[in-house]
Amino acid sequence: MNQAEVAKLVSKLRIKVPPQPRKLRNIQGPQGRLDKLRKTVTGLIKHERIELNSNRADEARQYAERLISEAIRHGDCHKPTMDIADYWLLEKELVHKLFKVLVPRYENFDKSYTRMHKAPRAMNTRNQEKAVLELRGNPYPSLTNKQASNRQLIQNILLDAAKYDYRQSKYLEMAEKMGKAEDKEAGTKAEAVLESNDKN
Amino acid sequence: MKRHLTHLSKTILQNSSSKTLPLSRCLSTQEAIERRHHLFTLEKKRQVESVGRIEKIEVRYKGVPKDCTLVMNKDISSPYDCARHLSEWHADSNALALIDGAVHWDMHRPLSENCTLESYSSTEPQAVNKAFWRTCSFLLGAVAARAFKEDVTVKLHSFPGPDIRSGSFIYDVELSLPAWSPAPRELITLSAELVRLCRRGAPLERLEVSEELALEMFVDNSHKAKQIPSIARTNGKVTLYRVEKHVDISKGPLVCHAAQVGRAAVAAVHRIIGNFTIISAVGRLLLDVGLPHRPPVVSVGSGLHPP
Repeated sequence: MNQAEVAKLVSKLRIKVPPQPRKLRNIQGPQGRLDKLRKTVTGLIKHERIELNSNRADEARQYAERLISEAIRHGDCHKPTMDIADYWLLEKELVHKLFKVLVPRYENFDKSYTRMHKAPRAMNTRNQEKAVLELRGNPYPSLTNKQASNRQLIQNILLDAAKYDYRQSKYLEMAEKMGKAEDKEAGTKAEAVLESNDKN
Repeated sequence: MKRHLTHLSKTILQNSSSKTLPLSRCLSTQEAIERRHHLFTLEKKRQVESVGRIEKIEVRYKGVPKDCTLVMNKDISSPYDCARHLSEWHADSNALALIDGAVHWDMHRPLSENCTLESYSSTEPQAVNKAFWRTCSFLLGAVAARAFKEDVTVKLHSFPGPDIRSGSFIYDVELSLPAWSPAPRELITLSAELVRLCRRGAPLERLEVSEELALEMFVDNSHKAKQIPSIARTNGKVTLYRVEKHVDISKGPLVCHAAQVGRAAVAAVHRIIGNFTIISAVGRLLLDVGLPHRPPVVSVGSGLHPP
């Protein structure tokens, strides 16, 4: 089977997927790990924003992305997809949410369906790193504050004015250079005319 | 010293006539600042006491964490007090209050009616920008009034309206130094004074006073004394602001406290005419504008010495 056909079989995720699954240590072994991840994925689909340890968040995120992308790809009449949803969602009413709420929300998305933020951690502690995992398009207020594009912010006004000044000074320099070049050209032409007159 | 000043200002308040003029003319700059500060305190106390019976108003707050209604004291409680009921973050970071969705109100100005209160939206920060720039000029004046030695007479003139695109805020000051062009070290000292003033984070208090009292306060400053009648022409009131002990006239609004001005530096001093000296300063780009959110900004080198 060549590469192109694999891409058709498995939907490509829009997040970085490490080649090896992460080993989340658990007393029950691999089954315990999966149980924990199922809990997390269920929580994410239910609450749309959760805070947890960073490594478990990253691992659960991959499964949640895969689940949503499968649901979008195959819809709710596809037996294997239904099985996957049934396995990953411990609360069965969330299966309805997945197909009736999340699939319409993410159908035309060109970004990943989930988002992970680093959460703050108390200084000088040895606690694990925390993360906030959320579904995009959730109803909560935004966690980040991206205002770089807001031209009315005072920083941007000052930067724009500085850029404008810089550009004006460059234009002036260029104009001076061009003026000098023209003067030179005019000078050489005049000399040439004089020389030709002398010859005649 | 203090008792003497109290006595002096009391006599001025009682007489409020031209008898005391020669006395106050020979005050040094420092003493004039003290005197103005004292008059401001007295007037503020008088205004608070004149409220009399305390009435309640309802302030409907809209915004994070949730909408709520606060019952505040009429003519005593300010948006700052409302913010302190909400959280320390609200009190520290809000620069201006939006009253009834239209009026930009100083954080330290008492509320007089039932109203809605919103913390400032960061999507339309024009009014905050202007208030911020005005505050920068105001603080520059406070620095200029204090930074010089006792033997130099400093008369503050005024500051022009905020022009943010110019990148610099300005205060016009008359100095008794005949020809002074500051050395780089002196500029750094002025910048350091400005930064220190900002770091101390004193609140910018607002007070509306009558024309007579304003004239009494600025009796030693001929420029301000000339400006006051035209300012008071509209409603007979002059709006004063105070940061620490420095009192100055400004149309307002100004931001909540001086610490909201992040980093600023005095960049240049230009002489215009005679003994007039314009001190103009360029605000550096690291600004905590006191918006509800503080966007991170990398300080861009602009040829200035770091304050």
